Amino acid sequence: MSPTTIGIIGLVALVVLIFTRMPIGFLMAIVGFIGFASIVNVDAASTLLAKDLVAVFGSYNLTVIPLFVLMGQIAFHTGISRRLFDTAYKFIGHWPGGLAIATVGACAGFAAICGSTNATAATMGSTCLPEMKRYNYDPGLACGVVASAGSLGILIPPSVIFIVYGILTEQSIGKLFMAGVIPGIMLATLFVLTILIWVRLKPELAPRGPKTSFKEKLQSLSGTGETLLLFVLVMGGLFTGMFTPTEAGAVGAFGALTIALVRRTITWKAFLQSLMETTRISCMIMMIVGGATVFGHFLAVSRIPFDIANSILGLDLPHAVIMIMIVAIYIVGGCFLDSLALIMLTIPIFYPVVVQLGYDPLWFGVIIVMVTQIGVITPPVGVNVYVVHGVARDVPMYAIFRGAFPFLVALVIGTLLLIPFPQIALFLPGLIK
Amino acid sequence: MVRLEKIIKAISDKFNWVAAAAVAVMMLLTVVDVVLRLFKMPIPGTFEIVGMLGAVAISFSLAYTSLEKGHITVEVLMQNLPVRVQAFFTVLYSLASALFFLFAAWVCIDYAMDLIKSGEVSSTIKMPTYPFVLGISISSLLLSLVLFLDCFKSVREFKNQ
Repeated sequence: MSPTTIGIIGLVALVVLIFTRMPIGFLMAIVGFIGFASIVNVDAASTLLAKDLVAVFGSYNLTVIPLFVLMGQIAFHTGISRRLFDTAYKFIGHWPGGLAIATVGACAGFAAICGSTNATAATMGSTCLPEMKRYNYDPGLACGVVASAGSLGILIPPSVIFIVYGILTEQSIGKLFMAGVIPGIMLATLFVLTILIWVRLKPELAPRGPKTSFKEKLQSLSGTGETLLLFVLVMGGLFTGMFTPTEAGAVGAFGALTIALVRRTITWKAFLQSLMETTRISCMIMMIVGGATVFGHFLAVSRIPFDIANSILGLDLPHAVIMIMIVAIYIVGGCFLDSLALIMLTIPIFYPVVVQLGYDPLWFGVIIVMVTQIGVITPPVGVNVYVVHGVARDVPMYAIFRGAFPFLVALVIGTLLLIPFPQIALFLPGLIK
Repeated sequence: MVRLEKIIKAISDKFNWVAAAAVAVMMLLTVVDVVLRLFKMPIPGTFEIVGMLGAVAISFSLAYTSLEKGHITVEVLMQNLPVRVQAFFTVLYSLASALFFLFAAWVCIDYAMDLIKSGEVSSTIKMPTYPFVLGISISSLLLSLVLFLDCFKSVREFKNQ
């Protein structure tokens, strides 16, 4: 059998077996190992397996993952989420749809210290949903806003998806983080516009909140200063090259812990719980990275990525059309697969294509993150919707999916805007050499 | 069987505490290093130690994460099938995974032996690297046990249905 045939068998086996509910990291490692052994030999495959596992688990660069996860976990216990919402709420709560807009703002703020979509959605859900319920917001709209705006967690730095993408494609994590800033702000703005249009059409969905005095507004600002400070410290250090990504993560986690200790919002038990959650989430991510590394080595010797890249390039279609096709594949795939797994499976195949088409790797990273955001709010597998449903048990899942739909439209528009206007992502990273 | 299950769970739990401690130390060590660097006194070998702590943090939490069903899976198809069919597939994949990680534990021991023979140490502080490879090996072994346990449980579920 030729390496290409073995490669194709491996890919098909992977796609079929994934539906047996086998953990994806295990599956990729096993298929990759067997495939590599059949193309090269068992001895080489055994050496590869040991070296890959040791290299991935013991990589300094990858320690950035547990540290940023820890930062997000501790941030959950700092009460930052409540104070962020409080500020946004005092400023715009009295607008039509104001509480929903405040939720978007608070999510964007929390995203600046948390790198995952579901952690952002869970944290902001438990903060914002009770308030919106109190003011008789439509439950579908309220939950839809949280699920959608929670996805900003991975676009506004820090971001677990950018980290994983950066490691897989050997791109600078600092530059990727920078590339996410403007698209993040753009998307938050699009979400706000969506709310404004929606409540203009159906004002009864989102009644106005109470008016607040100027003094109250000013006072509420004091609660958000520390978040801003932490963001500036962590991202500033990273962007100026003062910190490595790992150091930025450690400083961020330590900073969040300091805020929590000073405010007395964290207990010893909660701290231990944050650590336990961190090991679990990091292990889950790293197992997939480990499996994907073994699988990637198998794909490389099978020359499949090379063949696929050549045949796609041979199609002779306009580059934008190929790009839109790739985005469409991610959107459809994201409906059924976990986003992280989808990225791991597809990056080795699509990344060479995209680079050969002449697209910027940083820009593609932003696209990947945005299609992931789409993936977390599309049925049937929409992690953020599950998370929000977990917080608001009384709102049925379909109502949340429906409530998230207008934001889905905004997300797709945002993603498509990036294709003709790559500067939206590339302007900031272009500023650093 | 029940006793064995309890023992495996208890060990996985202890291992996870080690992993959690490694994360905490990783954070503190890095922060101290960053601060001391401002005074031109960085801790030598931080880079290496943090990498090794990362290896501990990830490998020692493997078994616990598996027990907690924390690894990412695709539920779409299986959740719509009868419980007996689900149990059948769980038997197959947990057995395959258990054997695979048993094998991984063995190749890691092999690799560690090579490292001992060649006297491999880290570049700055000359710390031997093989203990961490052995740690990954032991963790794979523990994960393998957890997966064998899953396999037995699913066999029972398959029979009882």
